[in-house]
Amino acid sequence: MRRKLLGVILAVCIGWFRAEALTAGFIKSPLSQMKLIEDNAELDCEVIGNPIPEVQWWFIEGEEPIETVTQLFDGAREDRVHINATYINHATSTLVLTNLTLNDTGVYECRASNDPDRNDLRTPPKVKWIRSQANVIVFEHAAITTRPEMVSDQNQTAATLTCNLTNTDFTIKGYYWTHNGKIIDKSKSSVGKAYIEHEIAKIDYHSSGLYSCVFQTEPEVNATIEVKVTPHVVAYKHSENANEKDKAVLICVSHGYPLPTDWEWYKLSETDAAKKIPIVNGTDDKYEIKNTPNKTTLYVKNLEIDKDMGIYLCMGTNDIGSGDDKIQLRVRSQLAALWPFLGIVAEVIILITVIFIYEKRRKPDEINDGAAPLKSNAATNHKDKNVRQRNSN
Amino acid sequence: MQKRGTKANMPPPATTNLGYTPPDGGWGWAVVFGSFISIGFSYAFPKSLTIYFKEIQEYFSISYSQIAWVSSIMLATMYAGGPVSSILVNRYGSRPVVIVGGLMVGVAMVTASFGTTILHLYLCVGVIGGFGLAFNLQPALTIIGKYFLVKRPIANGLAMAGSPVFLSTLAPLNQFLFDHFGWRGSFLTLGGVMLNCCVAGSLMRPIEIKMKLPVSKTTDENNAGELDVTPQTAESKQSGCAAKINQFIDVSLFKHRGFLIYLVGNVLMFFGFFAPVVFLAPYAKHQGIDEYSAAFLLSIFALVDMFARPGTGLVANTRWIRPKIQYFFSFAVTYNGLCHVMCPLLPGYSGLVVYAVFFGLAFGMVCALLFETLMDLVGAQRFSSAVGLATIIECGPVLLGPPISGLLVDIFMDYKYMYFACGVMMLAGGIFLFIMNYYNYRWLEKEQTQRKVEGLEIGLANEEDKDNEEEIKLSTEEEEK
Repeated sequence: MRRKLLGVILAVCIGWFRAEALTAGFIKSPLSQMKLIEDNAELDCEVIGNPIPEVQWWFIEGEEPIETVTQLFDGAREDRVHINATYINHATSTLVLTNLTLNDTGVYECRASNDPDRNDLRTPPKVKWIRSQANVIVFEHAAITTRPEMVSDQNQTAATLTCNLTNTDFTIKGYYWTHNGKIIDKSKSSVGKAYIEHEIAKIDYHSSGLYSCVFQTEPEVNATIEVKVTPHVVAYKHSENANEKDKAVLICVSHGYPLPTDWEWYKLSETDAAKKIPIVNGTDDKYEIKNTPNKTTLYVKNLEIDKDMGIYLCMGTNDIGSGDDKIQLRVRSQLAALWPFLGIVAEVIILITVIFIYEKRRKPDEINDGAAPLKSNAATNHKDKNVRQRNSN
Repeated sequence: MQKRGTKANMPPPATTNLGYTPPDGGWGWAVVFGSFISIGFSYAFPKSLTIYFKEIQEYFSISYSQIAWVSSIMLATMYAGGPVSSILVNRYGSRPVVIVGGLMVGVAMVTASFGTTILHLYLCVGVIGGFGLAFNLQPALTIIGKYFLVKRPIANGLAMAGSPVFLSTLAPLNQFLFDHFGWRGSFLTLGGVMLNCCVAGSLMRPIEIKMKLPVSKTTDENNAGELDVTPQTAESKQSGCAAKINQFIDVSLFKHRGFLIYLVGNVLMFFGFFAPVVFLAPYAKHQGIDEYSAAFLLSIFALVDMFARPGTGLVANTRWIRPKIQYFFSFAVTYNGLCHVMCPLLPGYSGLVVYAVFFGLAFGMVCALLFETLMDLVGAQRFSSAVGLATIIECGPVLLGPPISGLLVDIFMDYKYMYFACGVMMLAGGIFLFIMNYYNYRWLEKEQTQRKVEGLEIGLANEEDKDNEEEIKLSTEEEEK
């Protein structure tokens, strides 16, 4: 009896742990998309089932009934097709088409099955496999003419950027402009114009950068115009103070587009205002220059009052021109802070001496004043207490 | 009770167990001045160092949080060093400890000015400087209790006023030093400035008390409380290691009801105490107010604080408030909490100005009474140990408060929840103190009447003994004659 019970419990447990068989079903289907040439397309497919289903990708060209159906494998179409599949808990498969061509237009089908007889040649695939389709349409590049193609004239103070979408395949629902990736306020419009303009009132380091006109089509197309200026170089602090034998840190930053490709530091000669003495990184362990595209840092070590004090020039250069700024370095003597310090220490010593002398001189009087009243106070207290207690009785 | 002070002006008699009458004046005011300096340096100095942080951060190429550790370590050591300070004060008195503390900070700053890594700054400014400031704070507070009794609240209020005064002075001074000498030169000069703590210490003349005669007359079991029960009698009741620790610091305080109430109430309060000060300027800037006006808010706050502290001391000294000073303190804490809860409701810059004024008043009130109430509860004799134990336990909420509030601001992206939280913590502390002190006063009165009854009985017995003694003496004298 006990053995039977055990057997039943065991069977229930095993049955509970072994999951039920489940036919395959899509939990994620591939989505239709419209892309431009040379772009990439990604189709996702996720299927659950028990046992874990197998997933295949097929490409259908043409109209029924003359349609050509081809299976896609990883590396097909001259390695432009990549299939990434995982079969843990459920099946997922991602089809990536890179460097799209017009011939990639068509219907892509995700097929899944966990039927053990799925590859039986006697039954048509439609019976054993579940399928989900997605349309991929590849468009020619939009032809956008930009005028001007690039703004780099130093003499130009203002500019009008224009974009003209000549490709009539697209239906334009609207447009907007971006500056360095951020949408420009008030440039957004829902008018379907093919020819759009944007005005830059003043060309300076604020307004320089990458401007993009974006047409809201399916898919979105855009073109970029570069507005370049000379670097706007500014020193963190125009006046730096440092201590002798210590190190000084001189910093310059640059704003504007494009950022400097080269940074240079010079020390201006005191005698000849035009003469610049270049500073090279690593000269006898005195100078160290650290550069990033928008910031340059000069470390001057082991400062000497006579040699290192003066005006330093930082210069940033890009392909348009260069900008610079000056920093004045003052070197303080090491002993500069010593005098106030000694002065204060002297004051402290004098005050302490005065206080202690005052105390010693007063002390004999204080002791008499202190002890006598204490004694009498205590006695009075005691007597008062006794008197009070007696009276209260 | 002394006939000198008015009876109604005094706190419950259990706390006046000094064994002598404090001078309440004379050299005491010089001592208050010395405490003013010491307390001022202790509280204001760590905060004023923040001016140098940006420069030091660039110099050593470190992040802001790494440099902020210097201030945190200094504050933490200052609070944690409380018990050490108490032990030393119990042993050697206030003056030597303050002088040593001043020397420590001075040497620490001078050494720091030659530092080559951030670790040097952590050690010198943070650890040694922190201990030096701890050695300044506790003794300064303790010695006030030794010199004042009747006018103690005023003395405490005046001494605590040192904190805002020094903060207002040190901040521009540090800026000036920094512009002229850079951070290294400034640290050197500040080392000299901190040596003035030694001057403050030299002012703290120890009280010359000849305790032998009074004590011998009252070492009977009569614990009327007026005259001292010396720590030695208390110790003999405990055994072994507890007695050893008690020689240094009075750990039996943890059984003291008043002390425990004070501790719990204060721990609650400190969670929300400092954060609003830290975040006042950022909150103002968040509202869109420019930097200078935001800084001006802090100046208003400091100015009101400066006058609120002695003012509170004066008020607390009056004969209506002094006996029930614990209620006054609870009121101050609750009022503080109310200010914070109301703050988010006040609109615009003028609202913030009003808040700054009321908050300055509240902050000053609490600070002025903070240690006065502790003295009132445990008595001047045990105050030194009490304040040491209290500061090390308060260390936690004081240091955790601002970062937790900062976390609240970051999570909700809004300052008002932080203000609500701080207000609620303080209200909780205030209400707790109110209720518990109500009971404490009742119990103290009961104990007092009990002691009076016992005192009567034993006093009578004493009187009879005395009469007998005198009769015997008289009779012997007569015999001799």
